[in-house]
Amino acid sequence: MKRNDNQRTRPRAWQTGRVLAEMSQLDIVVATRRDEYGEMLIRELQRTRAKVRHLWPLPDMLPSEADVVFCDLVAGLADRIPWIPGDPKAALIVITPQAPPPDIDAMVHCAPDAVLHRPFTTHAILTSLALARSHYLYGQRLRTRIEKLDETLRSMRAVERAKAILMNTRAMREDEAYHFLRRQAMSRRMSISAVAAAIVDANEILR
Amino acid sequence: MSTCPTKTSEPWRIGVLFSNTGFMALIEETQLRGTLLAIEEINEAGGVNGREIVPVIYDPGSESAAFGQYAKRLMIEDGVTTIFGCYTSSSRKAVLPVVERLNGLLWYPTLYEGFEFSPNVIYTGAAPNQNSVALCRFLMEHYGNRFYFIGSDYIYPRESNRVMRELVRANGGEVVGETYVSFRAQWKDFTPIMRDVRNSSPDIIFSTVVGDATVHLYRSYADFGFDPKVMPIASLTTTEAEIRAMGFDVGEGHITAAPYFQGIGGERNSSFVARYKKRYGEDEPTNMCVEAAYFQVHIFAKALEQANSLDTDVLRPMVLGSTFEAPQGQIVINPSCAHTDLWTRIGRANRAGQFEIVRQSRRPVGADPYLVGYGRATAYA
Repeated sequence: MKRNDNQRTRPRAWQTGRVLAEMSQLDIVVATRRDEYGEMLIRELQRTRAKVRHLWPLPDMLPSEADVVFCDLVAGLADRIPWIPGDPKAALIVITPQAPPPDIDAMVHCAPDAVLHRPFTTHAILTSLALARSHYLYGQRLRTRIEKLDETLRSMRAVERAKAILMNTRAMREDEAYHFLRRQAMSRRMSISAVAAAIVDANEILR
Repeated sequence: MSTCPTKTSEPWRIGVLFSNTGFMALIEETQLRGTLLAIEEINEAGGVNGREIVPVIYDPGSESAAFGQYAKRLMIEDGVTTIFGCYTSSSRKAVLPVVERLNGLLWYPTLYEGFEFSPNVIYTGAAPNQNSVALCRFLMEHYGNRFYFIGSDYIYPRESNRVMRELVRANGGEVVGETYVSFRAQWKDFTPIMRDVRNSSPDIIFSTVVGDATVHLYRSYADFGFDPKVMPIASLTTTEAEIRAMGFDVGEGHITAAPYFQGIGGERNSSFVARYKKRYGEDEPTNMCVEAAYFQVHIFAKALEQANSLDTDVLRPMVLGSTFEAPQGQIVINPSCAHTDLWTRIGRANRAGQFEIVRQSRRPVGADPYLVGYGRATAYA
């Protein structure tokens, strides 16, 4: 409660919090017309203390070296995005025009993480930024998880083989074999799958 | 403006991505031909629900990144949702994020290393349990247990060799050499490798070399005077197309495992081969990649007829579980993994550039891309 009281004394400052603290570290590209909303967008983003770069006219290719890209939805925008859908390099927020009605297909093809509709309010800027960033990072985490799962599936095979070798050559029980692998991995600071692969290799040489 | 979708005569537009140029053109061009032959057959028979299939074709020029870029263009600019294409695993992995993010459907007509399952891909080439397992067994029964691995330097050979190594070891064999060459490897690049082969005298060379380099590998082998009767090159990727490019005498006696060879016989295959030759020339052989590229378009057309929509969410369920009398025999799109239950065959190349079948499965072999059914024991019972 006390914190809220404090903030009332600074009405123009954004509420502090984890999300806002993170925003101040961001590198944000803004490719938008410099009308009153464009100006407002740049100003509000600067207030988060993020690094803000304004690009206009829209370059043929947007930069990929950024954390977040705000961009006006123009015809053929997908062509100007420097990555393929499904493998984004930055969070993307598409800014739709006030009129005519936005081309929904074109918007979906850009695979944005959030949308900002002209005319927008200062609050909409911040919520779209927070949402896009969260959505983008979640996608990255899921991709990492899938990669890890793929790798784990493969290494499970090595672990199974190593376990079978230990059970056969050292007369270990199944649980003893797993325990042996874990202990070795810990003491040698290796992954269990690396220990397992070494055992499988050694077994072939010794045979 | 609204048109009733069942009454339209507008064509079904599909994407096609195979390399016409670059070091993979040798085999990818044949996949393009198989694809086009099937499309022509379907259109000649009146199309699908009265609508013609029209392919939008790009040549990614054997560059993996270009496959991703063209997939993006197909789905965004050309408005295509279904794409037929890719030979190398690198190119498939470049297209994967695009079809997954925009919910497209990639039809992939090439054998690969397994360990993948995307809800946006239909896999119609062999998984390792459909070629490597039988090949390893055959080789160990007939030639010996010392293997030398030679592969192109990318995902597929490394992953495929990982599986093969496991099979070889589980059955008491050993891998005495393992080396990788560039996609652009020339004849001279194989000279030091062949010297090493001579020194380590394996019983079998297991090759996962792909594209133009295949020709140089086999020629270099021939220059060293090795005898395929004693130490053959065994491969999962050398088809009739590569044998033709290297010369029939160079290819003679070497071994390949595949679901399909031109020489398998059967009425369905004979008429397929005849149509292919009529369309592309008497000298043009079919191969496993042509065949998969061909039958997958027919499976697509059958599913499309039922779905009457190219929307992936509507089309894909019609594809899963569907069967087809392919040139190789009856095949099934396995609903559990969207891979295809295919025939396992082992062929030995003869003087006419054709493979003589030396072993084959009695029925289609269920696809098991993660080798689940091969648990910890890949040893042969």
